[in-house]
Formats: sequence, structure tokens, C-alpha cells
Amino acid sequence: MTYRTQRVAYPYMVVALLLFGLQVVLGLWLATQYFVTVPQGLVDIFPFSTARAMHTNLLVLWLLLGFMGATYYLVPEETESELAFPRLAIVQLVLLTATGVAALVGFLFGWTQGRPLLEIPRPLDLLVVVGALLFLFNTAVTMIRAKRWTAVQASLLGGLVFLAVLYLFGIPFYRNLAVDWYYWWWVIHLWVEGAFELVAAAMTAFMLIKLTGVQRAVVEKWLYVELGLFLFTGIAGTGHHYYWLGAPSYWLWVGGIFSALEPFPILLMVVDTWRDVRQRKGPMEPRLTWVYLVGGVVIHFIGAGLFGMAHTLPQINYYTHGSQVTVSHGHLAFYGAYVLLNLTFFYLAMPHLKGLPLGRYDERSGHFAFWCTALGVMGMSLAFAVAGVLQSYLERYLAQPYMVAQVPIRFWMAIAAAHGVMVLVGVVMTIRHLLTLRAPAGGGEAAAVAGAAVTLPSAAGK
Amino acid sequence: MTERTAKGVFWGGTLSSLALFLALTVDTHGQFAALTRADKLDDTVVAGKRVFERYNCNDCHTILGFGGYYAPDLTRAYTRLGADAIRRRLAQPEVAFRDSYRKMPNQHLSPAEIESLVAYLEWVAGIDNHDWPPQDSEARWKRSTERLLAAAALSPAAALVQQEGCLSCHALGDRGERQGPRLERVGARRSAAWIGEYLGDPQRLAPGSEMPGYQHLSAAQRQMIGEFIVALAARGGER
Repeated sequence: MTYRTQRVAYPYMVVALLLFGLQVVLGLWLATQYFVTVPQGLVDIFPFSTARAMHTNLLVLWLLLGFMGATYYLVPEETESELAFPRLAIVQLVLLTATGVAALVGFLFGWTQGRPLLEIPRPLDLLVVVGALLFLFNTAVTMIRAKRWTAVQASLLGGLVFLAVLYLFGIPFYRNLAVDWYYWWWVIHLWVEGAFELVAAAMTAFMLIKLTGVQRAVVEKWLYVELGLFLFTGIAGTGHHYYWLGAPSYWLWVGGIFSALEPFPILLMVVDTWRDVRQRKGPMEPRLTWVYLVGGVVIHFIGAGLFGMAHTLPQINYYTHGSQVTVSHGHLAFYGAYVLLNLTFFYLAMPHLKGLPLGRYDERSGHFAFWCTALGVMGMSLAFAVAGVLQSYLERYLAQPYMVAQVPIRFWMAIAAAHGVMVLVGVVMTIRHLLTLRAPAGGGEAAAVAGAAVTLPSAAGK
Repeated sequence: MTERTAKGVFWGGTLSSLALFLALTVDTHGQFAALTRADKLDDTVVAGKRVFERYNCNDCHTILGFGGYYAPDLTRAYTRLGADAIRRRLAQPEVAFRDSYRKMPNQHLSPAEIESLVAYLEWVAGIDNHDWPPQDSEARWKRSTERLLAAAALSPAAALVQQEGCLSCHALGDRGERQGPRLERVGARRSAAWIGEYLGDPQRLAPGSEMPGYQHLSAAQRQMIGEFIVALAARGGER
């Protein structure tokens, strides 16, 4: 940590981690309801729908808080200046957290906008917008004052503005259901395959520069190419959600063709990261941060690229649309693309924020936590995938009634839940590890000196 | 690759995709009215959509394939169930799903809310969305029934059922008598082999039965009739 105001990132990351833990607990309860018969009395007061609203909103909230924390850590180093309004950043965190908690409690009492993933009631939406504006204002003023522009900053700020603008399309009430879903995807799809990708690419580029010490010009050049391909395939690729909602049939062509290209930018990112890793100018220390970085890139490709590609062609999607296949893809893609990205950034930033010498930390329980979570999520996604393929075949192809087709699926949901327990154990350990980072026991000094050239901000990226 | 080329890839890729997407969005808006029968989208339907959102129905059910995956898709619920069955499920889910392994919460809806939801689902069922979902495709149902009827008319087993006068005691579809059990139900309950054996000697498997024996048919013919009856079984039905 070079700049004093970077410190505001720390509480963002702490809140994000705690919300992440709660999200996983609710996820486990959701999976359980698929294979255990919940009595009517409990269903009446805490239905699946409420738990699902909490699970998904917690995800969005903690990922966004993670991005914001990462931004507040990254922007001072990129602009080589202090943050414009550090106190305002804390006010913004309190505002957004309070809004989030109010929304979650509200769900329990049936206060909801009632649209999946956008359940936050409209009055609270306005508070979210205020929080987002505070954030953009703070970030933009810092960048403008510093008068030092990098591609990483541009990608980050562009992504954040794009993200805020798209959120507005999710707020109004739409009379026509088809129009409603049309713009719902402007928030959901264009977030995860547009705005989030811009933010993620900026964060990844920043981390690659810091960790590998590869020249900034090289990293930034590939950043442009990756983003160009991400947005080229991602924007028109929104069409793969427009197949069956009452839109014209040309979306079958546009959605099918552009989404068939969507794995390529991710593949380029994998190749690019691999090249930077090979050309690094120092040892791979701390080892765990590298494991997260490479793990994230690989699972991003499998979850978003391959699992996504597997069911975006209209001929396949006709049978898989709205089944557990989507659930499988959603979990692995979010974990690989955005959960691991945030956690990697936390592992990069939090040791510095805690003032540990050269960002080194005691890694021991962190490795087990990573593998427990990663293998748990993989197993869970595979179980969802089996359930989804079964559902597509039994319900969609053989036309069995929904509840008849769900019978054999219950077993696979139990398998998914068993892996969910692994995920919960891994996540709780990860959170505990990140919140109690300590200097490595013995030998840390020698390793720190060896890696100094890479870790010092002044030596990297010039 | 120079940085200049890289920037060119970025702006070229982003802007071309954005231009295509926005142009198609404008065109799509021009077609929504016809594709969704917007002329039938009256205030009752909109009130139904608000009820649907107020009770967060969409976080268990999917509609147009979007939402929670925990409960049946509602896109064609109206064509699948009809107004009356929808009303009963909404008013008393604890009764409608008493024997189900998955429950639906009772939201204590008012009669007006129930009626608006029915109107809403009726409107949704009319959206032209390339005949999704497949399991509720009326075109598919009709094709399947036509195939079944055509095969039944031509099949030797159907001819045997007619020749032996099975329908003078049993019901099948709209035809036949009610003295014996309905053949669709027999088909749902028994295997083809069991039926074939039973036809040979009803008294052995069901002592006291009024059913006459069909020893004059060959074992192969009796097995054929069994397979025919099993094929008539109504598929699954709703739980």
C-alpha cells in the first residue's frame, strides 16, 4: 500500500466477504428444498422464492462491493494520487450496505419488486442509484484531478458507468411481459457479459502488472483486443436470451452466431495470462494469490465459455432453456469469472492493507480452502448439469409433466447439495483466512527480499 | 500488433456490435405489438402482472423460461390447465398439492387477484414465441395424437380388439361400455405380458371375474393386444 486513502478498500472487502458467506448458506438451503419435502407451514412463511431472492441479491451486492473496494484500492495506484473523498467512500459503503440489509429483511416480509434478480423494491433502487453516483463521482474526480490516464483506468471507469446506466433499465414497471424481459436482460446479460467484463479486465490487467512485472504497454495492448472481442460478441450476443420471449425470429440467428463466438475472447484471456505468467520477472509469490489468479482464468473459461456455449445454439436451447442446465452454467460461470476475480484481488490487496511486509502472508489454511471451494463448485455444477440434461430430456423432449420429470432429478440435487456443503466449508475457511491474515512464520523475510522487485509498486508497470 | 491496431479492434468490435444491437432493438419494438397480441393487453391483464410480481411468483416459477426453476413453467399454464384448475391452485395450494413432494405457499389471494392472474396467464399463453416450451406445444400434441390414431387404425392389435368385441364391456375414449374397467386405465396399471396371460385364463389371475377367456387366440395375438392396451395408457397426468 503506497497511498493512505487506499485503506477505505478494506471495510468494503470485509463486508463483501461476510455477505458472501451468507449467500452460500442460503444457497445450500435452496438446494435442500429440491430433495427434502418442506412442510406447508414453513413454505407459507419462508418460501423458496424468498430464499432465492436473498441468495441472488447477496451475490450481486457482495460482488459489487468487492468491485468497489478493488476500485478504491486500484485507482490511487493507477493515478498515483490520493483518493478525492475518502470519507465519502465510507459513507457510500454504509449507505449501500444498509440498503442491502433493508432489502434482505424486506424480502422476509414480502416487500419485493417481484422480478428475479431485480427484487429490490423501487424506493430502495433510488438509494442504490445514489450510492452508485457517489462512487462514480469519487472515482471520476480522483482520475480527473490526477490527469494521469491509463487503459486500466479507462476500462474500469467505462465499465462502472456502463453498469450504472444499465441498472436504470431494470427500475420501471413494464406492462408487457415480453418487453419487460427484453430490458431485464439489458441489466443481467449486459452486466455480466459487458460492464462486469470491463471491470474484470481492468482488475485482471492491474493484477498481472503487479504480480508478473510484465511491461504495462504489453498488458494494455492485449486488454484492448480482449475487450473489443468481449463487447463485439457480448453486446449482440444478448440475442441468445431473446429466442423464446416473443421477439422476431432474426434473434435466433444473431444470438446463435454471436454467442458461438463468445468463448474466443475468454480463450484469448487464458492464453494472454499464461504468456504473462511465463514472462514474469520474479518467483510466483505469494503462491496462493497465483493459484487464485490462474484458477479464476481457467474456471472462467470452463464455466462461462464452455458451459455457456454448450446451450446457446437455438436448436439446443429450445430444449434446455429454463432448466437446471442454466443453473449449472450460472454457478460455474459466476464463480470462475467474478467470485475468484474478487477473491484474487482481496488476496493481492488485503495483505498490503494490513501492512504485512511486501504483501506476504501465512498461506497455510488458504490452499485447502481454495481447493475445497473450487472442487465443491465444480462437483455442484456437474450435478446441476446432469439434473438439467435429465430435465431437458424427460420434460421437454418426452413431454413428461414437470413434477413427474422432477422425481429422478431429486437425487442429483442431493448430490449438488453434498458438494454445497464442501463449498460452505471452503468459503467459511477462506473468509476466516482472509480476515485473519498474518505474516508468514519464519523465512518470510528472505522470500520477501527475493520478490521485492515484483511486489513494489514503483518497480512495476513503468 | 501495434497499440493503434489494438485500439482499432476495440472500437471497431464494440461499435459495430452496438450498432447492430440497437438497430434490431428498434425493429423488435415495432413487432412486439403483433407478436404479443398487445391489443388484448388490458387493465385486468396488467393488474395480473402486478399481482404476479407482488407475491414474487417468478422466483419459484419460470415464465417464458425465466425465473426460479423450482416450479413448473407458466408460459402455457392457461392452455395446459385451464382457468378453473389455475383458480383452485391459487386459492388453496395446500389442498391442491397435499400429496405433492413440493409445496406452494398460500398467499391468501383475494378473488379479484385470482381473476386478474387468470387473465394475465391467458394473455401470456397467447404470446407467439416460436412455440416454446416444447412440452406444451399444441402442434406437438396434435401430431402425436394423429400418429397414435393412425397407428391404431392400421394395427393388427386394434383389429383384434374390434373383432373380439372388447368394447361391448370396456370403455375406450368416447366409445364402449362401462361394465369392465376402462382400457386406458388397464394399460396404465398392467404390463403387456400380464394382460396377455390374463386374456388366456382370467379366472387364474382374478378368481370370480366376469371376464370371458380368449383361449382361442394364440399367445402372440394375446401379447399383441396387451401391448396395444399398454400403449393406450394416459401419459402421467398431473400430480
